[in-house]
Amino acid sequence: MLPPARIPEGGNVMNGVNAKKPSSRLSYLRSEERYAYAFIFPALASLLVFVFYPMLQALIVSFKDFNLISPDSEFVGLSNYIELLKDRDFLDSLLHSFHFAVVVIPVQTAIALGLALLIKRKTWYAPLFRTVYFLPVVIAIGVASTVFRLLYNNDFGLLNTILNAVGLPKIAFLSDPQAAIYGVMLLGIWKSVGFFMIIFLAGLNNISPDIYEAAQMDGASPWDSFWRITLPLLNRTTAFVVIITTIDAIKISGPIFILTGGGPAGSTTTATFFIVEKAFEEMQMGYSTAAAFILFVIVLAISLVQMKFFKTDVEH
Amino acid sequence: MLKTLSLTLKLMVMLALAFVFILPIAWMALGSFRPHEEIFKFANVLEWRTLFPVEWTLQNYADLFFDTAEPFSRFIGNTLAVAATVTIFALFFNSLAAFAFAKMNFRFKRILFVFFISALVIPGEVTLVPTYLLMRNFGWINTYAALIVPSVISVFAVFLLVQFFSEIPRALLEAARIDGASWLRVYQSIVLPAAAPALVTLAIITFLGQWDSYLWPLVVISDQSKQMLQVAIASFTNMEMTEWGRILAADTVSSIPILLLFAFLQKYYVQGITMSGVKG
Repeated sequence: MLPPARIPEGGNVMNGVNAKKPSSRLSYLRSEERYAYAFIFPALASLLVFVFYPMLQALIVSFKDFNLISPDSEFVGLSNYIELLKDRDFLDSLLHSFHFAVVVIPVQTAIALGLALLIKRKTWYAPLFRTVYFLPVVIAIGVASTVFRLLYNNDFGLLNTILNAVGLPKIAFLSDPQAAIYGVMLLGIWKSVGFFMIIFLAGLNNISPDIYEAAQMDGASPWDSFWRITLPLLNRTTAFVVIITTIDAIKISGPIFILTGGGPAGSTTTATFFIVEKAFEEMQMGYSTAAAFILFVIVLAISLVQMKFFKTDVEH
Repeated sequence: MLKTLSLTLKLMVMLALAFVFILPIAWMALGSFRPHEEIFKFANVLEWRTLFPVEWTLQNYADLFFDTAEPFSRFIGNTLAVAATVTIFALFFNSLAAFAFAKMNFRFKRILFVFFISALVIPGEVTLVPTYLLMRNFGWINTYAALIVPSVISVFAVFLLVQFFSEIPRALLEAARIDGASWLRVYQSIVLPAAAPALVTLAIITFLGQWDSYLWPLVVISDQSKQMLQVAIASFTNMEMTEWGRILAADTVSSIPILLLFAFLQKYYVQGITMSGVKG
């Protein structure tokens, strides 16, 4: 999901060197090429062994009845895929992932943009607030999840103490199947929103102040400026944030393992959690990998639709 | 008048948000210094003692580090060793590849680069099982090789560094080559120093990623004494009701290195995020 890189033409380094002796110039280039291949070899080998080969292997495994317990595995054709599409648990896990994503994408993106707008103006205290809002991003996922687990505790957690103090009813984020996914959302947003704030901040800084000044002179209110200038000019940044957030949100798993363990009553079992459980708890590796492929195709399709959406938006 | 009012309002919103962001971290750190009973005693009614310790103690930390069965320092040591090793190798190999792509000329360069970038699309969820099986075939299960070797090369890192390297003026390399320096020498004495900020950025991102890693060590490391920090911390949730102080102490102590790193190198980290999102 990264913008295309510029590959500069770096080869002209040797222009003019040994220009009078073509043969030696050729050997010079050959040596450059040899070095270049040697330099990229470790990276290339690693990608082949640890990314492309497993990807190919995944495709094969997903058509097998593969588990670690019995060594022989046979091809079962599409039956893993067909079974998955009928598997209530898998469909529910997809639903939970979508529920999570559908709430987190707009809420987190709006908060991230809001925070960026709050600290955009260059004051002496803006960097201070930026650091504070960004702090949860560097807190490790294991740490954040265990702390939130205690914060959410029904009897002694700080959250319910605060809710109680302001006269609100308790929320059982850890034991109420209706509420649990929102507990995960709260943790997810707290932890990631600062990251996207930084990206929005960079996008905002790219917009020339002159445009705002001109708009102000034409009598535009800050509200108008936001909708007519900031948002349209921020389109590329917003596209990046929304697409990355979508991918991260649909694939959410880390906090689930520690905060809820997929429960209560399976209410926070997301697709990735389902995939890992199937593979390493039930040892159904073929089935699990087929599920991962289905998830991959869904995520890819959504990303492509989003890219198209943001692109057409720009042309208007 | 209206302007002052709106500025005050804005500041109040900023402060309130700052409070929300900092509260879990403050509660964690302060709670780690409280005696066992105190954490539960003031939890019912909100007052200053709900957050601040009345009687400060280091007992939780002592329990954590002098646990004879599983001293916590072991997990910190394991994680530091793995994270540092991955970071050093990652800096070296990713920057070598990026240097070749950014500044050298060779056949199939464009195709190879597209091939590299295409790896970004392949998600870890899909390759999780086959990579695990590969580790089993290598006999790497329950060894640090499984944590280190597959984690070194990062397409994202190569991509990031290509962007930085391409800004180094070609004349600089040209001059060195005319003086007879080898390509390795050019890389070492010109490219690396010029790209120092980028390398610091990459080092932080790599180190933090390793410090944060949870799922992969959970899958490939089975021996508790070899386990990584996040998995060890997560396993504490099994003793939840009785040991809050100890959990919070573990959380606090494992956040300190990261917060220190962040305090000094924030600029580079933020720069890395900005580069990944906006440039290009």
